[in-house]
Amino acid sequence: MSAHPPAAAAHGASTAITTQAIQPGLSAEQLLAKLAHFNPERDPRDRWGLTVIVPASRLREVVRHLRDDAELRFGMLLDVVGIDYLAFPDHRGARYAVTYPLKSVAYRHRVTLKVWVEEEDAKVPSLHDLFKSADWAERETWDQYGIVFIGHPNLKRLLNHHEFVGHPLRKDYPCQKRQKLSTNDPMVDQLEAQLKRRGYTVVERGEAHNGVPISAVGSVPLGDRTTATVKTSGGAGAVGAGAPATTGAAGAAPAGTVAGAKS
Amino acid sequence: MKVLTPAGEPLDLMTVNVGPSHPATHGTLRIFAALDGETIVASALEMGYLHRGFEKMVEQGTYSMVLPYTDRLNYCSAMMNNIGFCKAVEKMFGVEVPERCIIVRVILSELSRIIDHMVCTCTNLVDLGALTNFWYFFNTREEVYKIWEKLCGARLTNTVTRIGGMYRDVYPDFASDVAGVLLKIESAVKEVRGLIEKNKIFIDRTRDVGVVSAADAISWGWTGPCLRASGVDRDLRKDEPYYGYDQYQFDTVIGTTGDTFDRIMVRIYEMIESVSICRQALGKLKPGPINTTDARLSLPSRDQVYHDMEALINSFKLVYEGVRPPAGECYDATEAANGELGFLIVSDGGTNPYRIKVRPPCFTQYAAYGAMIEGGMLADVAASLGSINIIAGELDR
Amino acid sequence: MTYKPVPAGVTPEINLGDSFITTRVDAVVNWGRRNSLWPFPFGTACCAIEFMGVVSSMFDISRFGAELVRFSPRQADLLIIAGTVTYKQAPVLRRIYEQMCEPRWVISAGACATSGGFYDCYCTVPGIDEIIPVDVYIAGCPPRPEAFLEAVVQLQDKIAQESIKEQRTVGV
Repeated sequence: MSAHPPAAAAHGASTAITTQAIQPGLSAEQLLAKLAHFNPERDPRDRWGLTVIVPASRLREVVRHLRDDAELRFGMLLDVVGIDYLAFPDHRGARYAVTYPLKSVAYRHRVTLKVWVEEEDAKVPSLHDLFKSADWAERETWDQYGIVFIGHPNLKRLLNHHEFVGHPLRKDYPCQKRQKLSTNDPMVDQLEAQLKRRGYTVVERGEAHNGVPISAVGSVPLGDRTTATVKTSGGAGAVGAGAPATTGAAGAAPAGTVAGAKS
Repeated sequence: MKVLTPAGEPLDLMTVNVGPSHPATHGTLRIFAALDGETIVASALEMGYLHRGFEKMVEQGTYSMVLPYTDRLNYCSAMMNNIGFCKAVEKMFGVEVPERCIIVRVILSELSRIIDHMVCTCTNLVDLGALTNFWYFFNTREEVYKIWEKLCGARLTNTVTRIGGMYRDVYPDFASDVAGVLLKIESAVKEVRGLIEKNKIFIDRTRDVGVVSAADAISWGWTGPCLRASGVDRDLRKDEPYYGYDQYQFDTVIGTTGDTFDRIMVRIYEMIESVSICRQALGKLKPGPINTTDARLSLPSRDQVYHDMEALINSFKLVYEGVRPPAGECYDATEAANGELGFLIVSDGGTNPYRIKVRPPCFTQYAAYGAMIEGGMLADVAASLGSINIIAGELDR
Repeated sequence: MTYKPVPAGVTPEINLGDSFITTRVDAVVNWGRRNSLWPFPFGTACCAIEFMGVVSSMFDISRFGAELVRFSPRQADLLIIAGTVTYKQAPVLRRIYEQMCEPRWVISAGACATSGGFYDCYCTVPGIDEIIPVDVYIAGCPPRPEAFLEAVVQLQDKIAQESIKEQRTVGV
């Protein structure tokens, strides 16, 4: 491994980008000029960098152009950011926006794309096949805002648990509204989807996975830890080290049931 | 789980959960893997076990109240998060902090980078069985913590910067203390290098494990030491210099193969470069003001407050309402220990941030992790997971 | 062999000198338990880094017997929750606690584990005592390593007052 500046790397085509020093990039005006055929609109809210508003229908075209054009080469999608303008003072127009900060690895320029998303039809085309980093970033935006990314292979919750209802970063979601989780996501379906992607066919699930959420096997559901129904033998009084609550594993079944086997 | 291979042969796979409570998953990560013997055939990752609602919480308070939350993002190098956030807000105001503040922030950044790399490397080595390095590096971290304690009272979650400057100026012996700790850092790095760099076991366990090509790394959005280990010479300190980084002489450390060995060694060599930057910065440290005097950010002096009406009102508004960046959307990034730490701040001109999105560097690295381990052995999971330095606080926010 | 009755007040141990110590069962058992706590660091966030500092040589938790960190709940008797517990993590924590065998103790380290910390929002459990019983709480964000050591000492004092006659838990 070379400790100091670029050694002759063993990879091939990518060395052209990687071992070269970063080239000066285009200015904001030049970038806008290069996007002229898309009729870009510059977002006045971003006074410090270049944010270009793009309609959702042309998003993929624009992104592909930005990525592949020889003078632009925006090869890195940094993030997918959702914004909810519900509580923004004097806001008119669509409720949500999704912004895509892009960076070039070859040139020293950056651009952010912004797509307005209506509340009633919160859908945006997915970029997961153009940038690998879009995969999870879009999942997160779906999780937190409820914006659907059309074509995304696995639009599931990422940050919040799988029993969560609602989209917490929306402005109308109360900050302190907590939602408990009873059992963890078994994730068998995601694993099977991944196996399928790699060419394997699932013939039979293991016993542990058949219908029963894995973490529920042998476990007690989370109930309220109310009165400690501690039974001490021989009336020895309070148990020494803090009275742990029993959630009725031996006693009455708690209100929230566990699907399937309880040993 | 019974499957048919792509060739049509029957195979019995075992499914195993690595995490979310596991010694090798630093922080709370879950890897649900289907194994054929020791080889991972497919995996599904889960994160979000430490999702604490940073982005929702910061909307509830003022901009200054965001700072303690930023500490807990990448808690191994808390000051870099503070600095990143303050820099983004100062950019919105168009304010340049004074020269002394810039140099102090550079020193604190680089020292934080060093201690972050130390945690990453030594815990990664513990996963491989090399426990001694853990003691060496943690002892050195304690030495750095002594400086943090003298500086701001806290060891880990410092909240040392403020918007417009620093919490307070550095204490009188700061420069000599830092110079002393840099020597200790160098000696610790030398010891650890001596233990692992030519160690056959270490090389066997990390060479060609978890290889990520440069093109893949870029497409995955990797930044920081992991990207550099894959051979891509990109460092925000050199490409888009801020805080005078273009004035410092340092090399970016680049790997060749993009395997675990490269990622670990890139961090170790980066520590040496950071020590050099710290020394140069100490040489530039001159007396001067530490906070900006911009009235939108800093409190006027007591004397002015008592004698001048405008200063009194300014002080009142700043104390009761906090700073109010102009309305707009600003993205700013710094080169944090893990890579490009970005803050997208949406301001409505009010006292509370409207939206703050943190662009965590390890998010993209963990997203690629599933692809990285497939085809490898279970033992390699521990080796490569440590090398991408997942800090759950930053990953899940 | 004739039996020689021992006079009152003269115990057999006197003839054997210092080979025996008399004590109570509780004292011995508690002495053994409190001086060989095997921690399970359920570290989720920043407090886990401070716990690593406690384990390292400067603060050295092994002085108190709690050196062998065990990452399997079956092999540990002290569960240290260091860091925030979210609702996603809660069933996992519960399961880990259930897997531990008696006697077991729990230390809740840090503000987040104790009360949710300053993350008063939709995803954070406001204190792990909603899920599992806790013996010692450590305040701090993060607590200093000395605070961890103080918690271990307090737990040791608590253990010293236990008795094996009392059944520790039922059911769970």
